Amino acid sequence: MRLIALLAAALLAHDAAGGLLDFTAAELRAIERHGPWPPPAPRDPSNRVSGNAEAIAFGELLFFDTRLSPNGAMSCGRCHQPGRAWTDGRRTPGGVIGATGRDALTRNTPTLWNAGFGRWFGWGGGSDTIWSFSLRPIRHPLEMGSSAAHMARTLRADPELACRYRRVFGEAGKPDEALLVDVVKAIAAFVETLVSARSPFDEFRDALARGDRDAAARYPLAAQRGLRRFVGEGNCSVCHFGPAFSNGEFGDIGVPFFVPSGVDSGRYAGIQRLRADPHNLLGRFNDRPGDAGAARTRHVQLQPRNFGEFKVPGLRNVAKTAPYMHDGSLATLSDVVKHYSELDENRLHTEGERILRPLRLSPQASADLVAFLESLSDTGRYVSGAPSRCASRRVQ
Amino acid sequence: MRLLTVLLTMGLALAPAAAPAAAELPIFDAHVHFSHDAADQIALSDAVAILRKAGLKGALVSSSDDAGTQKLYEAAPDIVVPELRPYRRRGEIGSWVRDATVIDYLEARLKRYQYAAIGEFHLYGADADLPVPRRMVELAKQHDLMLHAHSDADAVERLFAQWPQARILWAHSGFDQPQKVRAMLRKHTNLWADLAFRTDQASGGKVDAEWRKAFEEFPDRFMVGTDTFTPERWYFIGEHADWSREWLKDLPPALAERIAWKNGEDVIRAAFARRR
Repeated sequence: MRLIALLAAALLAHDAAGGLLDFTAAELRAIERHGPWPPPAPRDPSNRVSGNAEAIAFGELLFFDTRLSPNGAMSCGRCHQPGRAWTDGRRTPGGVIGATGRDALTRNTPTLWNAGFGRWFGWGGGSDTIWSFSLRPIRHPLEMGSSAAHMARTLRADPELACRYRRVFGEAGKPDEALLVDVVKAIAAFVETLVSARSPFDEFRDALARGDRDAAARYPLAAQRGLRRFVGEGNCSVCHFGPAFSNGEFGDIGVPFFVPSGVDSGRYAGIQRLRADPHNLLGRFNDRPGDAGAARTRHVQLQPRNFGEFKVPGLRNVAKTAPYMHDGSLATLSDVVKHYSELDENRLHTEGERILRPLRLSPQASADLVAFLESLSDTGRYVSGAPSRCASRRVQ
Repeated sequence: MRLLTVLLTMGLALAPAAAPAAAELPIFDAHVHFSHDAADQIALSDAVAILRKAGLKGALVSSSDDAGTQKLYEAAPDIVVPELRPYRRRGEIGSWVRDATVIDYLEARLKRYQYAAIGEFHLYGADADLPVPRRMVELAKQHDLMLHAHSDADAVERLFAQWPQARILWAHSGFDQPQKVRAMLRKHTNLWADLAFRTDQASGGKVDAEWRKAFEEFPDRFMVGTDTFTPERWYFIGEHADWSREWLKDLPPALAERIAWKNGEDVIRAAFARRR
């Protein structure tokens, strides 16, 4: 932080020529908080195979294996597609699985990039670990429609899967439910490895941090202007906080939440689901019950303001994860910026300090914000390992 | 929405159980809106079913515009107590204080319908002394109506300065600290406090110590409320009633009843009864 203060003074001594805005010391501190990237690899204490290379390889295999669904058609990877930034690119997945009307799935498929850094999972945060969250789509009749019995049968019958299971967890002779939990823990170990690579923003942020004006000036001016608004008057970084650009919590940003069966109450239903979930961190499947994560789950309170709140998504690779919002109702980043620019204040309650106000952006200012958001994209791509049978794979 | 109608109808038809269980604490919800967008998206019969299923004994309803309130009152006169909001559409929260046509609207509605109160209106600080709010207060005085103010303490003081005998329901208790709410209640015997859209009075079913003192000192002055400020929040009315019942259990039964429904009946419905 001291370094940033010194650099701010140095940078202010220069004019803005050379393609670098005269960021204030406060702006530089705010920018610094969005890095460094990548952080240390995420680990989940509740999952004894988190970070285990064999488990990661096993989880990768399971993630794409359609045999885990009874009809042999669905896998995690059908909706979380690597080529679509681990989304399905659709507004909602309902059409994919054929359900319509009130039975349709009404939430947008979120990206899995950087999921391992979160503490609540799902748009309503109904789960407190990736592994417990994974049980939902596996069991949901409109998604994989699977069961512990089907999963166990499949796993025990397939030599390759059985071999991998043994190498990670030991013999597969345990009850089906326990075996299913092991399966999702392996899948979670894989998902945790999906950390996005560095982006142009990171190069800029680090250049500022080391006082390298020439390198910083390579970051487009439009993105710099958008970033300034993002950390400044836009108040975006209040919720889209930190290196992953999310505070990990929930907010109501005025997006309608009617669904065919009534409403999707978001975080409100999420907390109710979390409390009722036998696989939450307070349950017997937590491999380290005394960890701080369990305390968070124990102390979460259901409050009226939670009704209609949805998870604040991280923004890394956001340009690749359209459409946007919990219901996929906004098709492009420009639409998202427009939403905030023309925010309907009547949909937001006037309690306490108002973080959200209509930004009333000019076309140029809107384009600048989009340019900044686009600069959060990495240039990496998912590469599966080329494992030998019953051997580990890797993610690069 | 059609499906919801069917489901609600089925629920009501199959089980009078859709009505609250006998032991369930009734609720007077002092903060409900049925504004034009809610009326567009929620069938009137569904809205009434939601109120009944939530076990509401009463509901103070105001809407932007007033048509929603009147429709709801006509459909459920045993529950709904109408109040007149100085807004004709969403989006007038910040502009009404300087819009003289609001007075024409209020006067026209007051000639045609009966109300318990004018509100809920948003009014802060010195804006309370602008001509439009002043005239609104005069109308309330003329028609013997309560005022339902989403205001800071300053604006509440200014309203009392304009009309010392005013009866004011302080929406969200001004989002102020319980100590401040108590001080205001001590100072103004004609001030009541709704607790809509606040959560600090209880956590995990346990009443906050400072709020408990406030409730014990002024058992006759507090009411609960959902605040259906978006159409979707109509679906929270039942959840809110249950949430309120949960924390009210932490109070002595007589005090819980007062806050849950008796104060609403004794103050708001009584005010409406005087007007009819």
